[in-house]
Amino acid sequence: MILVLPLAIPWVAGVILAALDGRRRGAGWLAVLSLAAGLVATVWLAVDVHRHGPIGSVAGGWPGGVGIRLQADALGVLFAGLSLTVLLFALVFETLGGVRSRTFPACILLMATGLTGLFLTGDAFNFYVFFEIAMISAYVLTGYGERSRQLRAAMIFAVVNLLGSVLFLIAIAALYHVTGSLDMEEMRDRIPVVQENPAIITSAVLFVAFSVKLGLFPFHFWLPAVYTGTRPAVAAILSGALANIGSYGLLRFGADILPRELGLGAPALLILGSLSIIYGALQAVSRHVPGEALAYSAIGQVGYVLIALGLGGPVGYAAAILVTVVNSLSKTLLFLSANLRGWLVGAAFAVGALSVVGVPPAVGFLAKVALLRTSLSTATTPVQITMVALIVVGGALAFVYMFQIYQRAFWLAPENVDAPPSRAARRAVVVLLASLILALGLWPEPLLSLSEQAANVLPERGIP
Amino acid sequence: MTLILSLAVSILFGSGAYLMLKSDLIRVVIGMVMISHAASLLIMASGLTRGDAPIYPLPEGAPVSDPLVQAMTLTAIVISFGVSALLLSMVYRVYTSHLSLDLDDLAAAEEREETAQERENIVETAGAQDEAAAAPSPRQDTHPPNPDGDQS
Repeated sequence: MILVLPLAIPWVAGVILAALDGRRRGAGWLAVLSLAAGLVATVWLAVDVHRHGPIGSVAGGWPGGVGIRLQADALGVLFAGLSLTVLLFALVFETLGGVRSRTFPACILLMATGLTGLFLTGDAFNFYVFFEIAMISAYVLTGYGERSRQLRAAMIFAVVNLLGSVLFLIAIAALYHVTGSLDMEEMRDRIPVVQENPAIITSAVLFVAFSVKLGLFPFHFWLPAVYTGTRPAVAAILSGALANIGSYGLLRFGADILPRELGLGAPALLILGSLSIIYGALQAVSRHVPGEALAYSAIGQVGYVLIALGLGGPVGYAAAILVTVVNSLSKTLLFLSANLRGWLVGAAFAVGALSVVGVPPAVGFLAKVALLRTSLSTATTPVQITMVALIVVGGALAFVYMFQIYQRAFWLAPENVDAPPSRAARRAVVVLLASLILALGLWPEPLLSLSEQAANVLPERGIP
Repeated sequence: MTLILSLAVSILFGSGAYLMLKSDLIRVVIGMVMISHAASLLIMASGLTRGDAPIYPLPEGAPVSDPLVQAMTLTAIVISFGVSALLLSMVYRVYTSHLSLDLDDLAAAEEREETAQERENIVETAGAQDEAAAAPSPRQDTHPPNPDGDQS
């Protein structure tokens, strides 16, 4: 029951809201309420998982192995909580400003359903189904605003990501073929006896599918056009909630189910991750429009996730999870605040910028420390030196582009001088998110232990 | 049978990919549909076993064919059906706002909007410098600096 609630609340609410006109105030607040209820249920579930270990249940009362399994462990619960938090912030932000499309609240709730579903499922095919639920609402959301700019962005986003989803489906079929099961636990048990070649091809297809979602360097081509084309709240959702699918997928399928193949592919991950960091940072430095620079910064930030995954080991996995959490919170804050005006908003943006750069009061510092710890825990000195240099250079470049954006958006922009500050309630949302980031940075213990616990779910792999 | 299926999958996927690279949006959508059909066929191919129909009560001792792949394929077909409908409606919306389905035209529209926006930025900066030019410049739908920071 406790396992079904986080899934059922947004689902039912989404279906009800689909029939209502989302532009009405009441519908918007109903959506906020039910999403908050879903978040509370997720937190409750998280506390339970934290105390008593993973919970599983088979849908419909079927015996295990026949029915579809739902499963909550520390990793899934953490990601579900994170994504719902981001969605809630974006939804409140948009509701306060006035929703302009009747489908917006319903789409957000259905996306919440898809995201919690895929983080809490124990079945690979169900993962695909929930994944599609989340993606389809994302396609609709990208078109939110319905100006020609948003429609073009939605078209690009839908076509590229559909291709990614089909690749994922193909990988699932391949996994089913080689293991004869769709249950993630059975897959994990059977994969060691599978021959290497099919397993490697399957994991390569999986990697491409998730990298397209993440917007990793060679697969990033769709990302800038989409992030700059959509409205701020939608960009925040895409980079803060939907991109988590990519990191979670890489952790779940790579580190959990296919650890041997992840180990084999580690050098490739490290190279792609480094390229992504450098490419994203350099492009972001050269961009003038804040939204565009933030989009390239998102490409750079996922590179850190990949590096942490490639270095592996419990420290590396914990770092990957931590970087994902930090990145998703700070990107949400940055996308939401970059277009607002008022001095507190400027301060909030600065907090987000510091978090991306990795300067102490903000939570981003923790991520940087975890990354440095991971790179120092590797055995060989050249790898250590390269990784530390990369993280430092990436941080320095991030500092440059973040404060370029800050300068353009809050100091130089002429409309700043005359324009009245934005609606107070909207600013309050942004400031609240900024203080959350600061609070997590000042009192890091809970987040650190959560990410370590989540990393302990994954089987151990030797550090290369 | 596996050979025939894999040939069919590769032909479907290849022609789908070819169509997706065309500049006409309808062809892109058709290419997408073909690629998702390739995936459905691949699921069928991944669980090909000979045997009786897996209908309860199961025949004693004889092997039954795998029912799971068919259930998965059915789900995948339904999803791709819904997605194709969504894609077509998005193409229609793009058509009503651009009056064209050609990707080159869309790219040209993008460029026009961007240059308009840049020109606007320059005008704004100049306007801020001599302070007197408080006259609102004609805005495009791209980046109006209104207080709530909406982009539309």
